Amino acid sequence: MAEKAFEPKIIGFFCNWCTYAGADLAGVSRLQYPPNIRVIRVMCSGTVSPHHVLRAFQKGADGVLIGGCHIGDCHYLKGNYMTIKRMTFLQDLLKFTGMEEGRLHLEWISAAEGPKFAQVVREFTEKIMKMGSPRLKQAPRAA
Amino acid sequence: MNRLREKVRNLLKDGKVAGYLGYIMKDGHPLPHLFTPERPEEVDQAIVAPEDARYPLDKLLQQLASGYPDATFAVQVRGCDERGLNELYKWGQLDPEKVVLVGVACPQDQADYCECPGPWPSVIDSGGKCEPVLRSKRVDRIDALAGEEAFQEWLGAFNKCVKCYGCRDICPMCFCKECSLEHPDLMSTGKVPPDSIFQLVRAIHMAGRCIDCGLCEENCPADIPLRVLYKKGNALVKELFDYDTGSLTTGLSPWKFLGDESTMETKPM
Repeated sequence: MAEKAFEPKIIGFFCNWCTYAGADLAGVSRLQYPPNIRVIRVMCSGTVSPHHVLRAFQKGADGVLIGGCHIGDCHYLKGNYMTIKRMTFLQDLLKFTGMEEGRLHLEWISAAEGPKFAQVVREFTEKIMKMGSPRLKQAPRAA
Repeated sequence: MNRLREKVRNLLKDGKVAGYLGYIMKDGHPLPHLFTPERPEEVDQAIVAPEDARYPLDKLLQQLASGYPDATFAVQVRGCDERGLNELYKWGQLDPEKVVLVGVACPQDQADYCECPGPWPSVIDSGGKCEPVLRSKRVDRIDALAGEEAFQEWLGAFNKCVKCYGCRDICPMCFCKECSLEHPDLMSTGKVPPDSIFQLVRAIHMAGRCIDCGLCEENCPADIPLRVLYKKGNALVKELFDYDTGSLTTGLSPWKFLGDESTMETKPM
């Protein structure tokens, strides 16, 4: 019997004004992308705390994708500066503890970038599929 | 020691301070003690805390300050305690006008144990400067490990955690009224060891805040190498944002929403 392919669970924190709208556009344009992504709409990518990301991994996410407005275009002016500071720091800290920082990705996707949204989700899902199951799931009673 | 006692005596006599938060020997144990002008003879027993008895005086000072907001207190500080005070001023927890430093420089073996890059305060009333340790060998060793090896080591350490909150309770920099580690929606309850992310959550909050006093690691009943994690956090904050934790000249923390515009770029996938 053929082994079932690894179907990752990817959590997407998408900012309401840009990335979520970009996702809408991708949908309306009938662009295809893998269904592994589970979307959480946030008002600003700057409201995503590193704690939320860690919680997602703890509860079994195989990958976390954060989408926000481009630098300089944040609906709340400077929220996305906080996003990039926090997420860059978190990626480096995850690397230090061997927790596969590649599973966390930050991308600026605007409301007009429907095709880019689909492409980013496609590429990230493929990447996570290749990476397989997270090391963190070895921990006792993870997720 | 005598120089320190003389300074304390003068401070109490001149009425400049409501009290001096230092250490005294009690039944053979060095313990924190508040020396007051009403009992000047106690100053003869005032000691410099020996290395193996270190308490978070910054934390006690915060409690004193909240109880007596108009009073000025003198406090015994090592290099790390002073870094803690500097950060607490920036976070609005203490008023620099109401704190007088009584400084103690750490001996070489203490500095080596702590891998401290600044084992003396700006005011030295006891001891002399020793050689600082500029790079942490403990952090460098982990940095050099491959991902899988590092993970196994950290997982082994995190699995020993009994969720006693000792690290958080003793930390002089932890002053939040509501702690993320106890957030019902973000941290699982009812299991030991706790979520593997428990230490990482503490580490992200300690970045740019930890003054490397080492009390957390000493307090941990499971001997988890917490300091290594927090040292790395601080090193990252320095590398990414050029922020020196504990310095008064480095400005406010990069985590405060000051509206500063970062020039960082997203990493490729």
